[in-house]
Amino acid sequence: MNGKGSVTLNAGIEKAWEVLLDPEALKNCIMGCKKLEPVNENKYEAEVSIGIAAVKGKYESTIEIADVQKPNHYKLVVKGEGGPGSVEAAGVVDLVPIDDNKTELNYTYEAEVGGKVAMVGQRMLNGVAKLIIQDFFKKFNKELAKSEQSI
Amino acid sequence: MSKVIGKRVTRVEDARLLTGQGKYIDDIGTPPNTGHVAILRSPYPHAKIVSIDYSEALEIPGVKGVVTGKDVHPLLNPFSVGVSAPVHYYPIAIDKVRFVGEPVAVVVAKNRYIAEDALEKIKVKYENLEPIVDIERALEKGAPILHENVGSNIANHRTFHYGDVEKAFEQADKIIKHRFHFPKYSATPVETYGIVAQYDHSSDSYTVHANFHGPFVLHSIMAGALKIPSNRLRIIIPKDIGGSYGIKAGIFPYIVLCSVVSRLVGCPVKWIEDRQEHLAASSSCTDRVTYIEAAVKNDGKILGLKMKMIDNVGAYIRAPEPACLYRNHANTTGAYDIPNLMIDAYAVMTNKLPTGLIRGYGGQETYFPLERIMQIISDELKLEPAEVIRRNLIKKEQFPYRTASGGVYDSGDYEKAFDLLLKIGKYDEFRKKQAEARKRGKLLGVGLAVIVEPSGSNMGYITIALTPEERKAGLPKSGCSEAATISMDPMGNVNVRISTTPSGQGHETVASQIVSEILGIPHEKINVVAELDTATSAWSIASGSYSSRFASLGSSAVYYAAHKVKNKLIKIAAHFLKAKEEDLTIEKGNIVSKTDPSKSISIKRVVGSAHWNPLSLPEGMEPGIYETAYYTAQAEPPDDQDLINSSVTYGFVADLVTVEIDPETGDIHILDYFTVHDAGKLLNPLIVDGQILGGLVHGLGGAMYEELVYDEKGQFLTGSFMDYLCPTAPEVPNVTIKHIETPSPLTPLGAKGLGEGNTMSAPVVIANAVNDALKPYGVTIDSLPVTPNKVWNILNQSKKQEVSS
Repeated sequence: MNGKGSVTLNAGIEKAWEVLLDPEALKNCIMGCKKLEPVNENKYEAEVSIGIAAVKGKYESTIEIADVQKPNHYKLVVKGEGGPGSVEAAGVVDLVPIDDNKTELNYTYEAEVGGKVAMVGQRMLNGVAKLIIQDFFKKFNKELAKSEQSI
Repeated sequence: MSKVIGKRVTRVEDARLLTGQGKYIDDIGTPPNTGHVAILRSPYPHAKIVSIDYSEALEIPGVKGVVTGKDVHPLLNPFSVGVSAPVHYYPIAIDKVRFVGEPVAVVVAKNRYIAEDALEKIKVKYENLEPIVDIERALEKGAPILHENVGSNIANHRTFHYGDVEKAFEQADKIIKHRFHFPKYSATPVETYGIVAQYDHSSDSYTVHANFHGPFVLHSIMAGALKIPSNRLRIIIPKDIGGSYGIKAGIFPYIVLCSVVSRLVGCPVKWIEDRQEHLAASSSCTDRVTYIEAAVKNDGKILGLKMKMIDNVGAYIRAPEPACLYRNHANTTGAYDIPNLMIDAYAVMTNKLPTGLIRGYGGQETYFPLERIMQIISDELKLEPAEVIRRNLIKKEQFPYRTASGGVYDSGDYEKAFDLLLKIGKYDEFRKKQAEARKRGKLLGVGLAVIVEPSGSNMGYITIALTPEERKAGLPKSGCSEAATISMDPMGNVNVRISTTPSGQGHETVASQIVSEILGIPHEKINVVAELDTATSAWSIASGSYSSRFASLGSSAVYYAAHKVKNKLIKIAAHFLKAKEEDLTIEKGNIVSKTDPSKSISIKRVVGSAHWNPLSLPEGMEPGIYETAYYTAQAEPPDDQDLINSSVTYGFVADLVTVEIDPETGDIHILDYFTVHDAGKLLNPLIVDGQILGGLVHGLGGAMYEELVYDEKGQFLTGSFMDYLCPTAPEVPNVTIKHIETPSPLTPLGAKGLGEGNTMSAPVVIANAVNDALKPYGVTIDSLPVTPNKVWNILNQSKKQEVSS
């Protein structure tokens, strides 16, 4: 499964970058994320509970950030395993400034699932991926607003 | 007593089944302290197991134990299998997983809920390996290898030459060839696998209740895997099995797994498979690639055939595979008189679910390319398909017909059945209608298929997987034994014990009909016990419910057992009445003299004497009435030329299907399905028609809906009934069934098996009909299932060609 998309973030590129790589903000934005802890500089351990079709359950994941070109580009590599099966995904994020308060974010992703989630969830995956991403950016814009206020 | 064999007697099973009183595996209760099993399965198609950490699972209250491959490995032998490739198959992965769904760990807990929750606490580290799922790629050099010690993915390869194939191909006017792909699909009974297994430490023995239906040759394989003498593995089959259609033979690895888990955890265990497990990890038919070449004369006569068949047996070849390749060996040329035949047969292993019996077993895989090529021949030679079929059909006077590969077709009148089919299906009329419809842009099609339906497997056929030299090293294998026991209690009532483990086919009813007619007792008064207990039943290696063997073999065992009882009753009566045995007959519960009506004695009195007054019996006669008959038909082992009569009886099925295709959506609408059967003498036409309909719908599934789909990475994509489509009542077309009866000379009642014919014929006849409808587009359907999606793509990709009609 793969996909791509683009959203406009309500912040300048520097600010957007900062929040995008803030573990606390990410935890709040990722649907079902119970835990997100850094293991080393560019690697996190996460625990995510999510339901795809009839398959609900917890994934223990590692999230690695690679290919960092601050503040324009990075790559996310996610590997998760849990009761419902396995997920391996890679996403590439590119930021393009629009003006001081707006940034365009372009993303592409590839994901593979295995086990039960593939057996019974395959049909739903594209829809679920879109839902998770939309939800992420909705929450992310809120996080941006929160971070603006706190300044 | 009037005749009851052959009557539309309603089923004695139905009262209990329809009122919820069936006794299935989940109804039989469990011993005290039984633990419930949940199985952790691999999410990867091909990976090394680096480590398994189940410490957290053990901490959950209610968990009794966790068992992994490492724990069972010292206690088990790999399952034996009838090929020389050294494949080590265990019921749980030991150090490597080879398909999605393969068991990796087993949790036993107080209840299933806790066991399922505990699965999530087990941490397995895998190291992924490159998977392989494509049949032909699996044969290529450099393909990932599943079993390193085998050295390739080939589990079995044999080549057979019958007649003079090269000469046939030299003499041909034309050689017509094509490649076909048959899909992997399942059987989906309502009731899934179920097991209650208990290890008894003091006697080092296992008692297992399971909805396993044979073949009981697998009992030896299970005992061998458990490293115990076979009389220490007692398997008890419940009275009712909620459908099988072959797939419940595939429960045997789980019987061994649950047995050894019971031993390791120290309590009885129960496992009821769930639907996702059933689709992903029970069993399935093979998917097969066939390259078929026909040497034909311009008039449509086929001189010879070459078939290269490559069966995908999944991650491990397991018994009784590679039987799917060989079960139809004797009838590879179907209903046709084709004396020259070359077969190049492969069984390959890929990262998919291992395969086994599925209704039709090998028949649909064989007839799909054969009956498709018949239609292609008629297209290429510009002949009517019906004409090409007729030209090649075996003629009535050729029976018993010896096939190229050693089959002996016992009886038949194929032309008569085929003529009847064309008549009831109004074939010529439909052709006119079709031509009219085409002018109006409508896509109508008609398909034909004729097949030979083997039943009652000769247990020797599986050894055809070995070369004649390899076979010489072992005991020759042949026969198709079945047993039945009939007893009469002191009150003169009858109990019949059968070993055909019915899974809904109505064996109890038919057994009671046979005994009723022979002993002159109303069939409702006869009690048939269908539970099989390997420790107390009369059974043999071939026992069980598969290969449509009840009508040919099970019923014959009942017939002979009833005659043994009758003979004893007559002997006793002759002694009491001072009459000659041949002068006596059974009438309305009495044994009477045909010449002197005053000489009469009730059966009840005769039986009563056998129990209450054994000293009154003729001298030397044993007391009691308890007779067991073992029966086998003539079924020889394969000979040095690899000739094998792989089944006992051979029925005939001719199908005609008409379809209409919606050019906008690709939707296939079956207008009519006509099927003509010849299964010899019918024992109960009511049950017969039920069997035919059921088999037909399974075949319809294979034709249009069902497929166990794997992506190219080996992930399994059809793990629920949302993704794996089965035909349901609204999808079932209008079906017209007709019979002709040419009795088998080989069975005492003249009956042949018939439960699988349309499962074998429906996929190809529907493909032929769809292909015929799409003829204006110049396309060929060479894989299944034919879904609207596939048809729509064909319609959109192909340029419409003008047909001269």
